[in-house]
Amino acid sequence: MDLTPRSNSEETIVPKRKRNWFAIAVIVIALVGGGVIVSQFLTSAIDYYCNVDEVGSRDGCEGDRRMRVQGIVEQYSVKELNGSTTFSMTFNMKNLNVVYQGDPGGVFQECIPVVAHGRLVNGKFESDRIEVKHSNQYVEKNETRMDRANSEAAACSVQKD
Amino acid sequence: MEHASFIIGSWVLTAVSVVVYAVFIVKRGRSLSQNASREEFPWT
Amino acid sequence: MQLDKTSPSGTGTPATRTLGVLVIASLIALSLFGLVFSAEDVVQGSTVRIMYVHVPSIWVAYMAFAFTAISSAVYLTAKNRSLGWDRFAGASAEIGVLFVAISLVTGSLWGRLTWGTYWVWDARLTSTAFLFITYIGYLAVRRLGGTHRQRARRSGVLALLAVLEIPLVHFSVRVWRSLHQEASVADKGTDVELDGLMLFSLFFGLVAFTLLFVWLVIHRQRTLWLEDAYADKGLDAAIVARREEAGV
Repeated sequence: MDLTPRSNSEETIVPKRKRNWFAIAVIVIALVGGGVIVSQFLTSAIDYYCNVDEVGSRDGCEGDRRMRVQGIVEQYSVKELNGSTTFSMTFNMKNLNVVYQGDPGGVFQECIPVVAHGRLVNGKFESDRIEVKHSNQYVEKNETRMDRANSEAAACSVQKD
Repeated sequence: MEHASFIIGSWVLTAVSVVVYAVFIVKRGRSLSQNASREEFPWT
Repeated sequence: MQLDKTSPSGTGTPATRTLGVLVIASLIALSLFGLVFSAEDVVQGSTVRIMYVHVPSIWVAYMAFAFTAISSAVYLTAKNRSLGWDRFAGASAEIGVLFVAISLVTGSLWGRLTWGTYWVWDARLTSTAFLFITYIGYLAVRRLGGTHRQRARRSGVLALLAVLEIPLVHFSVRVWRSLHQEASVADKGTDVELDGLMLFSLFFGLVAFTLLFVWLVIHRQRTLWLEDAYADKGLDAAIVARREEAGV
């Protein structure tokens, strides 16, 4: 097999390869997908949440609109009653009472930062989605199995925000 | 282990993806190398 | 195409076979450290074990895309314009796409357990999705057709642009408000936020996956060499046929 570099004259008489329609289709899909992702970035990702202390004071965090609010679940504030969960979120010395229908998923617990989706109704934040914003700190669990209360106490000592 | 299906699932998915890709590369290499002689390969 | 009976077995050499054994051994050891020896996290419990495949996967993806850009830069700037660099770029990008996909899926499973949801449109996840789709596009551009040198030129330029997304992805959690946590290591000097064996397991994972990347990229680059050689053979035959047709 001849693998020596071709001269230009040789390259010009190479028969045209078939257009790769599959590659073109993938490029079109990537461009459309990229556009969708960029629009998501500009509308959602660039300003993902308002902190509790910004509700009603910062642009985009007005009290009457649907928003995402971030704060730390206050210790001893979580209560479960008739299938709904209520708790208080705090950030920069400001508090916000949250009502969520159901049991928040993830590693939801006291002293952990969460992002609640919903809107303010009569001073309470009615949330239909809770996301747990766990910290970047990882602490080994002791060999003796910890119960939930101990785990939450550990979470309170771990969180720094 | 709590949430074993998610945890093991993550590891299995990673392993399977890598193994399938590695097997694809090796098999394709073997099949294509049938068309050339060893002296031509830059790595031999 | 003539079958050559003296052909070697493929893209392997004694060195890559040794590396392959090392990769398998290190991945087995990583499984033991990640799934058995390392402790549970005090908040996340066992869920933290997903980290030992999730973080090394995105690490390999970053490394692969950076290597794609470096190889492309070398191809575009070197005097001899060796296509070997272009093939390294293509091989590396393909591996990067595989590992971004793994990182997105494992991250999604981890997110379901910790955040309570598979997906959010926050800065880290959105920028990672954009990185993924960019390199899918890059791989498609490589398959558009034309000569090997045309392929190398257009994909080389694209690789140099696409690599700029990596800092955007990595620092997105600092620049914008994100649900995704900040990096636990390598971002704040000595302020490592992982306990003992967890930290060791994570670093071991990074080393094991790096070795895996090296093995994969060597083999894929060689396969791409064979693909190019095969295509050239086809072209050689077509050229001869054309010349005969034209009576040259």
